[in-house]
Amino acid sequence: VSDVHERLRRLLFLVPYAAKRPGISVTELAQALGLEERELLRDLDLLTMVGRPPFQPDDYIDIYVEDGRVYVDLDQRLSAPPRLTAAEAAALSAATHLLRSSAAEALESVLAKLEKVLPAGARPQYRQMGRTIDASVEAPKDVGPLSRAIAECREVTFDYFSHGRGATEGRTVRPLELLSHRGQWYLHAYCCSRQDERLFRLDRMQKLTLTTRRFDSPTGSRAGKVPDPAREPGEVRVKFSAAAAPYLRERFGDAARAIDGGGVEVTVSGDSERWLTQWVLSFGGEAEVAEPAWAREAVARAAAALLEPSS
Amino acid sequence: MERTERLLDLLALLLDAREPIPWAELREAFPEDYGNCSDEAAERKFERDKAELLELGIPVAYVQGDDERKDGYVVEREAYYLPEVGLTPEELAVVYAAGSAALASGAFPGSRDLAHALRKIGFHGGQEFLSPRVRMELDTVQRGDELAGRLETLRDALAGRKWVQLAYYSPRSERTTERRVDPYGLAMRRGIWSLVGYCHLRLDIRSFQVHRIRDLKVNPAKPRSPDFEVPPGFRLQEHVASYPWEHRIHEPIEVQLSLRRDLAPLAAQIFPSARVERGPNAPEVYVRATYLDGLLRYALSLGPACVVTGPPAAVLRWKGMASLVLAAHGGKSAVRGGS
Repeated sequence: VSDVHERLRRLLFLVPYAAKRPGISVTELAQALGLEERELLRDLDLLTMVGRPPFQPDDYIDIYVEDGRVYVDLDQRLSAPPRLTAAEAAALSAATHLLRSSAAEALESVLAKLEKVLPAGARPQYRQMGRTIDASVEAPKDVGPLSRAIAECREVTFDYFSHGRGATEGRTVRPLELLSHRGQWYLHAYCCSRQDERLFRLDRMQKLTLTTRRFDSPTGSRAGKVPDPAREPGEVRVKFSAAAAPYLRERFGDAARAIDGGGVEVTVSGDSERWLTQWVLSFGGEAEVAEPAWAREAVARAAAALLEPSS
Repeated sequence: MERTERLLDLLALLLDAREPIPWAELREAFPEDYGNCSDEAAERKFERDKAELLELGIPVAYVQGDDERKDGYVVEREAYYLPEVGLTPEELAVVYAAGSAALASGAFPGSRDLAHALRKIGFHGGQEFLSPRVRMELDTVQRGDELAGRLETLRDALAGRKWVQLAYYSPRSERTTERRVDPYGLAMRRGIWSLVGYCHLRLDIRSFQVHRIRDLKVNPAKPRSPDFEVPPGFRLQEHVASYPWEHRIHEPIEVQLSLRRDLAPLAAQIFPSARVERGPNAPEVYVRATYLDGLLRYALSLGPACVVTGPPAAVLRWKGMASLVLAAHGGKSAVRGGS
């Protein structure tokens, strides 16, 4: 994609977008377009020179900045953006497919509507590109409704099973962000009963309901952070054989330190004994916990349990 | 005049016109660009501009005149303007969630196109796509900055059907091989992007993990003419491994596993493509594996509630792995490369 192409399609969106929002601030407009402010100002400079022959005063696009706000007085018929290109529609379709496991019905309907607004000439290329990209993630069905609640700033309620308490209790939260990490989905939300931001696992939620109560779009909330035992500085030292070493280097980079015999070792968190034992076992004998002793014992117990005569 | 400016001027002129604009008039309207050169040079320049507008999805067409109209160029407003897409709030939420997750992952083929598309579909509804509210960490591997760029390069090669030259690293052999590949598709499973295509070194369809590509070049010759055709029967899904046991290492074998206690109700979720039968006590799962060790390691990680029950060779190997782990943690080390 050439720079001219990229800039043109941005400008063809910028004019109608700004015209629809008289007085939008330079900051907001730049953010909506994914631009730095100075880039936006350069775009606006260019647009003031655009018009149609014979270039009488009223033939130019009239777009200007006043007190940090953008106004469009003459759009020269750029009143809506052009239709989606084949490449844009294909990218949108490929991305939407990511959530097909949680929103199969919505996906079907979205794709049908998308194809309808494509120019007829773009359809063959759109279909061809559609066949070439196939990305999917396993996502639980609550991802759909939670995304909507986040977009519309609506409080939700659900029953939540807490391992710490060993019990299920009702929660009312303001959903802020969904995160997935290593196949596990989390909701980062402001919990109304705890009056604090918390992380909730989607697989421990039941009876999710969207309420009609709206909240103000949050500003300054902390970014949600998922626990990652393999990435957090930890106290459990695990050694790997030479055969497993290349895979560990791929995943840990320089944090995988070389040891004698061609293997590597890494240090991971011991917060979750369950995670640790599963992880070590998944290397089928190519991994060994070096220390501490409790972690070695935990892995030994798990391996012994596997070898017991099955019940 | 700058090209971007000229193209916008041209579009403004065509969008405003009530009648087709003959070529002669276009030349007069843009004397500096189409006027002051030979007929041939002017036409070439205009054709390039027209192609650029078409690529942006702008329906520039030439219409033959009749008694009442002259021959000339038009942009039909109906066909130009993006209409309401008409997505319901639920549908828009799904599209925004998936789109923002794809962008936030930091590496998605066609991310610029995707960002534009997301802005456009929210245009009429006033429901705006601003910052990502869904994040998917797709990093089961330590990734360099190259991944995002490689995916874009491969997407362009796929769209243009151009062959690529790869330096491909295999952690199994710890070697890098050079190969030419006709790219057929890109797939992502469990956070890993794979390129599927015809490998001229192996003379067969192969799949390559994109993060293991060390160097990537696209055939620079004739960018607008395709190098190959994708075979009509090709289906991308059939060539990507979703699970470790689906890597094609050996001939397929059927492995039987028994899922007990808390794993029993999860059989279909844990092994989605496997055959599940009701056993006397617990569900028996039959998994087709082309990489036995991959399956056995996965089974080990599920803990004692997952028991490998057949065939005997698989059971033996599974127990052997567990014994190795036990020996390594029961005092004496059984791990090569350990102390």
